[in-house]
Amino acid sequence: MAEAAGVRGRAEDYALLWSLVLVVAVLSVLPLARLLLEGIAPGGALSAQALTRVLSSPATWIATRHSLVTALGGTLLAVLIGGTVGLVVALTDIRGRNAYVFCFVMPLLLAAQVVALAWLQLFGPSSPLLAMLGIAPPLGSRNPLYSAEGIILVLGVQYAPLVFLTLRAGLRALPQELIEAGLAGGGGPMKVLRAIVLPLMTPPLLAGVALCFVSCLGNFGIPALLGIPGNYLVLPTLIYQRLAGLGPGALSEVAVLSLLIGFIAVIGIVAQDALLSRRDFRISTASIVARPFELRRWRLPVEVALWTLSVVVLVLPLLALVLTSLVPAVGVPLNLATATLDNYRFVLFDHAAAKRAFVNSFGLSGMAAVAIVLLAVPLAYFLVWRRSRLLRMVNLVTEVPYALPGVVLAIAAILLFLKPLPVVGWSLYNTVWIILFCYLARFLVLGLRPVISGYYQLDRTLEEASQIAGARLLRRLRTIILPLVAPAAAAGALLIFLTAFNELTVSALLWSSGAETLGVVFFSFQQGGDSNFAAALGVLTVIVSIALMLSTLPMAGRLPQGVLPWRD
Amino acid sequence: MKVVSRRSFVVTALVVAVFAASPVAAQAPKGKLVLYTSQPERDAAQTVAAFKRVQPAVDVEVFRSGTTEVMGKLAAEFAAGQPKPDVLLLADAATMEALKKDGRLLTYREAKVDGLDPGSYDADRTYFGSKLITTGIAVNTAAKTRPAAWADLAKPEYKGQIAMPSPLYSGAAAIMLGTMTARPDLGWGFFEKLKAADAVAVRGNGAVMTAVANGEKSYGVLVDFMAFNAKAKGSPIDFIFPAEGLPAVTEPVAILKTTQNAAAARAFVDFILSDEGQKLAVSMGYIPARASVGMPSWYPAGAKINLMPTDIPKVVQANSENLKRFAELFGN
Repeated sequence: MAEAAGVRGRAEDYALLWSLVLVVAVLSVLPLARLLLEGIAPGGALSAQALTRVLSSPATWIATRHSLVTALGGTLLAVLIGGTVGLVVALTDIRGRNAYVFCFVMPLLLAAQVVALAWLQLFGPSSPLLAMLGIAPPLGSRNPLYSAEGIILVLGVQYAPLVFLTLRAGLRALPQELIEAGLAGGGGPMKVLRAIVLPLMTPPLLAGVALCFVSCLGNFGIPALLGIPGNYLVLPTLIYQRLAGLGPGALSEVAVLSLLIGFIAVIGIVAQDALLSRRDFRISTASIVARPFELRRWRLPVEVALWTLSVVVLVLPLLALVLTSLVPAVGVPLNLATATLDNYRFVLFDHAAAKRAFVNSFGLSGMAAVAIVLLAVPLAYFLVWRRSRLLRMVNLVTEVPYALPGVVLAIAAILLFLKPLPVVGWSLYNTVWIILFCYLARFLVLGLRPVISGYYQLDRTLEEASQIAGARLLRRLRTIILPLVAPAAAAGALLIFLTAFNELTVSALLWSSGAETLGVVFFSFQQGGDSNFAAALGVLTVIVSIALMLSTLPMAGRLPQGVLPWRD
Repeated sequence: MKVVSRRSFVVTALVVAVFAASPVAAQAPKGKLVLYTSQPERDAAQTVAAFKRVQPAVDVEVFRSGTTEVMGKLAAEFAAGQPKPDVLLLADAATMEALKKDGRLLTYREAKVDGLDPGSYDADRTYFGSKLITTGIAVNTAAKTRPAAWADLAKPEYKGQIAMPSPLYSGAAAIMLGTMTARPDLGWGFFEKLKAADAVAVRGNGAVMTAVANGEKSYGVLVDFMAFNAKAKGSPIDFIFPAEGLPAVTEPVAILKTTQNAAAARAFVDFILSDEGQKLAVSMGYIPARASVGMPSWYPAGAKINLMPTDIPKVVQANSENLKRFAELFGN
């Protein structure tokens, strides 16, 4: 009897494992395999025609150069800002650390296109903020942000938190003995920083640099708002314009373009790997966390400098965005008599597509968050407690759709779903479901990481006890494990929701009438010259995002460290 | 030169009024109606809302973008064999003429065209001009000098201060390009001079309006209603009727042959051409196709707008060559 039950239990385990592997393969491997196939055999026939046509077009290389310039520039700026702030916040005794981390990390969790619009409103002849201060530039001045430098500035600010987060995670593992040994050996704090801390922080810094480079390269919202008006195209915006102008007829061409951008991203990741493997950075013990350096009389000036930075990169742009959302028409000076809530009324109640977009974005982000968590809890069980070569592979491929730029996945999904699905005959193209598919594929890893770190915190004895008592895997997952990893899973779900809710890169290429997301409607307002409506919609999404981030703070104490990026 | 005055629209207003008042067909249209349009967001939303008040059983889905981009999407859908829209409301007759030539448009013989200028709709009744949209010069009110003619824009004092809509996005701009380049007094030389004066081609009229109202550019090549609507809301913008005349489009409405809901599509066309639909257009700042419903408040009282005549078949023929040349000249 017991024997038979054990066999049945094992069969069930295998069925579960293989269905999870299948789902991951469909989400993470299949689209990219389809894209690669299109690169070699466009339209199903082996041909290098599309490849040579794209690679011999000057527009391709201009956009590639622009992509490299902005991505490298943005990364450099992000490393400067994020690296400095990371060292100061993690190593010194500044006060109000939690509040500061919350503010500093926030731009990363807001929609890139909204941040770009906010920055645009900060400059230019009709900036409501500059006008109020009486320092608006004269008529005919070009907004300085419509340029490569503008794109680099906003990318750098947006992704500085990425460098900050990887660096901070590394600094947490820095053993105190090393620093104390350095200090005891007579080195001053700066010397210790240069000789001990920075060399040891090379791996997290490089990881942050690679992550930042790939994010800058794949960003669509910022170069779309700041680059398209001045005809400064990068690869994602070139792909968007080709597809928007020519439709699926241009698919073979944009497939080559998206392979090109994917290739550049892979070079970035591989370069980071190669740099790291040349030296040994292992830290012997993960001991007590280092005691913060005392800043003494420098503490107040450093705190003032940090908060000034936050005011400049977060508060001022958002304030400009709010002011613009209150202006009745473009170019009208804002004062108490002209200020109006009409723009909000329009996007909330009058505009059908905006109303639909609220439903779509909330629905898609919510569905993606729940589905991924339901997938991640059993998947992480196998990844953490049943290691095998297959599972290591699975773990690796879940990263791919997130690591590659979003346009790559979007183009791959169009190729995959342009024709109705075989056998069942469902057509996903031009529906919300193709967007949901991409959200599931792209954000799977965002939900999986927190759940995995949740598992590492668990004591496995409870699970083993219930196994001995005869509970099958599915039951153990439901009754024992799920409640225990629930906080981490909830944090992961929230991270997915926030990211999907603010997303534009994927849906800009995949939306159709009836399947608009908030990002798409925002972008279409901005493109149509209705920047006041765009600003109002942007402010509303910022409010939702900040409210969600704040709502997690009460449960932050029950979470593994590092799961919520905005918590110190 | 063709001159359009208020009077030229007014032909059989009375007959129309009788028609509009006649009882509607027994069966009211219902179901889903997909509209592809190049109207600005707010206008498209208002048009749909007003149509829904007349036909509450019809659910309208809207896709909005520049005419050229809408056509790109549509071409792709034709290629895939699944055109989604039932009705189109696009900037210009040239676009419709091209669709008609490909056999994409449904003939609506019974459309209520009495009272419309015969030049405003297709003689074969496949598309129907819904309004008149002219393109002139917008000026930021703080600008020091004001051009009186198109040719003025090439003068040195306007260098670096001009924005215009790209014909690669906007249908009205494509007609402007086709009309102006075919004229001996302007021609391609005018656009080459604009380029030499560092004029920029931005995506659409909306972007031109924003640039001029924001003060990023002092002058813009812009459609009338956008300038006047922004002015009415308080934006620092004025509209100039250039001496050589103004190119114009008629924003026609048309039904696709592949429509899944012909009854609702016909009801939509009826609504656009009806007194109510035309009055709505006036209230949104457009010159209506049906002059009997009145004129927008900005319309110069008692005056006539000097229109540049457009040879539609010729523009259709030259269009892709024009767009290519423009793209090379202005780099987009």
